[in-house]
Amino acid sequence: METLDGTEWDVVIADTGFASSLLALSLSRSGKRILHLDPNEYYGGAEAAFSLAEAETWALRWSESTDGATFSHASVTKPSLSGDSKLLSSRAYSLALAPHLIYARSNNVPALVSSQCHNQLDFQAVGSWFVLNPFDDALTSSSRLIRVPSSREDVFQDASLALKAKRALMKFLRFVASYEEQTETWNDSRDQSFSLFLEQKFGLPAASHEPIMALTMSTTPASSTTTGFALPRIAQHLRSIGIFGPGFGAVLPKWGGLAEIAQVACRAGAVGGGVYVLNKAIKEAAKVEQSDTIALTLDGNERVSTTWLCGSTETTRWTGCTPAVSEEDFTTISRSISIVSSPLSHLFPPTSEGGVTPAGAVVVVPSPDASEPPVHILVHTSDAGECPMDQSVAYASVALPSDTGYPRLERAISDLLLSAEDAQPELLWTLRYQQRTNLSTQALRESGGLINLPALRDDLVLDDSVLDGVRQAWQSITSEEQSVFMKFEAREGGEEEE
Amino acid sequence: MSHGVPRVGGEGEGGVASSQDKIKARIKAYKELEKDVTDRIKNEDYSNTTFQLTSTLLSQNPEYYTIWNHRRLLLQHVFAREFSTSSPDNPTAEGTLSTSDDHADTTAAQKAGLSPSQHEISLLISEDLSSLLPLLKQYPKCYWIWNHRSWLLTKATTHLPAASAIKFWQGELALVGKMLALDSRNFHGWGYRRTVVEAIERLGDISMAEKEFEYTTKMIKTNLSNFSAWHYRSQLIPRLLNERNARREARAKFLDGEFELITSALYTDPYDQSLWFYHQFLMATLDTTNPQAGIILSPCTNSDRKMYLEQEVTSVREMLDGAEDCKYIYQALLEYARRWRDLGGEVEKTDMKEWLGELRKLDPLREGRWRDLEKVLGLEVV
Repeated sequence: METLDGTEWDVVIADTGFASSLLALSLSRSGKRILHLDPNEYYGGAEAAFSLAEAETWALRWSESTDGATFSHASVTKPSLSGDSKLLSSRAYSLALAPHLIYARSNNVPALVSSQCHNQLDFQAVGSWFVLNPFDDALTSSSRLIRVPSSREDVFQDASLALKAKRALMKFLRFVASYEEQTETWNDSRDQSFSLFLEQKFGLPAASHEPIMALTMSTTPASSTTTGFALPRIAQHLRSIGIFGPGFGAVLPKWGGLAEIAQVACRAGAVGGGVYVLNKAIKEAAKVEQSDTIALTLDGNERVSTTWLCGSTETTRWTGCTPAVSEEDFTTISRSISIVSSPLSHLFPPTSEGGVTPAGAVVVVPSPDASEPPVHILVHTSDAGECPMDQSVAYASVALPSDTGYPRLERAISDLLLSAEDAQPELLWTLRYQQRTNLSTQALRESGGLINLPALRDDLVLDDSVLDGVRQAWQSITSEEQSVFMKFEAREGGEEEE
Repeated sequence: MSHGVPRVGGEGEGGVASSQDKIKARIKAYKELEKDVTDRIKNEDYSNTTFQLTSTLLSQNPEYYTIWNHRRLLLQHVFAREFSTSSPDNPTAEGTLSTSDDHADTTAAQKAGLSPSQHEISLLISEDLSSLLPLLKQYPKCYWIWNHRSWLLTKATTHLPAASAIKFWQGELALVGKMLALDSRNFHGWGYRRTVVEAIERLGDISMAEKEFEYTTKMIKTNLSNFSAWHYRSQLIPRLLNERNARREARAKFLDGEFELITSALYTDPYDQSLWFYHQFLMATLDTTNPQAGIILSPCTNSDRKMYLEQEVTSVREMLDGAEDCKYIYQALLEYARRWRDLGGEVEKTDMKEWLGELRKLDPLREGRWRDLEKVLGLEVV
């Protein structure tokens, strides 16, 4: 293989994470000379998908707490005694580090379609939202799993809602549908508690707030969620319903979450002439005086020069070119990935009469203590392509560090399993890890040829800000009009899957 | 999320032709095809080639109903021929419409309990039905496609034993279910469904009232604003109650259940007119001046009527709280309050005047109508 030493590039991308891969996709028809690296031996970076063996290797690597690293405190356990016999081969699983859901009303799917990627992707519906109230240890009452109503028909069917409550909830849902035009109603409450707003302006009693909160996917405790944060989130949820099909508003990419999109994007980058090298990290980077280039030294001591250096904050951090990141804005999240020995069908009712069966469901487990954040669990069936039939994968996360977060996650998952009415599902395999995200990295930062792409939000919703950041980066690099971003013609003799 | 159904080309929609010449060429080709088909039919050329040509023409223009007629003439001819050549030793002519060789034919026919010609016809019908699915998918509201399917199924009923024919109709019911899942407000779908259900009931000598009633419940849960589903529901009720041998107590319970259902729906969305129509239907069954009287609650006395009217006026009045701008509520109040008053109920004139006043404010364009109503209700200022 030819050496990279002495090569010159227009753009070097330092990792194959989600945002960086989208950038490669956006530049795939630009004719620019692109070198796309990744320090790992796999694609996807912090949004990769793993087989069981790969996950276990990854967990070993991040088992300790390394200064400033994104991942830490990782470990794998196999709680069930029959786990080893029920677990299939390692490659039967594709577990996602980024199982984010994608709302119809967001900029993501349209871009994947206009860039001709959608034919290589398979999206599955995310159907129901639930609130799970924990088991009471003292009594033997069953855990209460309540389906969140998010449409007029849901409200109609919810037998637990009294007529007046249905009326009040509908009034709120109707308000949200056009909340931007009714600022008089909520402008004063923008920075105040959303719970208080619901009570005062809509007469919704505190007991009815949990389902509404669940739709915001907020990782902060209920008491600190503001109206200004909640309303756009709920609006996005409600307005997305029905766009891709009746009864649901969000989708998940099959085969391993955002990793699959990253892979497809990199493939497009390669077809467009980009050079791909895995297992290659950047050791040093320095701006060259009085020129428009950056000189890089790779981990094999290859010297490379480029006009643009792009990547996530994590991978470009070591270069010394990174703009200072404030330590104050770090949030720490505890996460877990669990393989369950049951399809958990009670979480996946069909999206409508005769409609698609969803492959994803969201379960929100509020904290008994209102000042603590809720646990969010994304459950995927085997239709998501991440596990064999008759099993399912539960992705749980809570905005707490591992010492307090791990017990919350464990409790939430065990309550989830108890909510299944029939034969007790078992926990076959669990990966736990802690993830640090820096909120100030959630926007694009640019300085003298170095671009830090936005990180994903810590909640599990794919925000518009990621693609917006990629677009800004693309504009800086190509100086093209915004209107042609991610708009490609199908390639000759390309895939015609539909 | 692909449907796995091969997509029929949208050539009838003007296609991707950009230049005048391309368009002219397409028109020429279409007209030639049209002439070819009509000439062949005129010459009684009922061959397989002609059949295929009608398929091509119809996939470009499914609204061309004359060609559907030609296609049916052709099929009719083939059916008649099948019955006249009832001996299995009679070889079918070259190029004629046929689906399998005679040997396999006889055994398969015997298995299905059909004569060879019946079996042949069954295969032809089945093939035509399935070949039309992509076209139906593309043009779900084209009368002629539904019509043709209807015709094929009627032929199945005429020519085949009930046990075979019913299978076709059951397949059709599943198809209609899918179409309505895609577009629950396609009234072609609902009307067609009733035809299909009727056929299955007749051929199988069964009643599907309970199942269909359940179906309307499911469709309403999927989309409250479904005039067709609510209407179908109202149509099924009389037969449903008769089949259940429902006496007065069961009928009263049923009526109460329906009022509960519609009230819950109205609290969820009082601005939806289809819900008020159903409420009006339920109230109509209690109104002696209405042809629907007595189809639910029977026997029904005046005191029953008064009770329900009072119940509903009270209930609808409570709906105002939080929906003071909903004109349907005021309309309902005025109508039911009038009926209650006619039966001796106590209604405050001032209340009725107030409701009428709100109605006038909310719907000023219908001032003439409200003035008439004012007179009828005797609410004019003297």
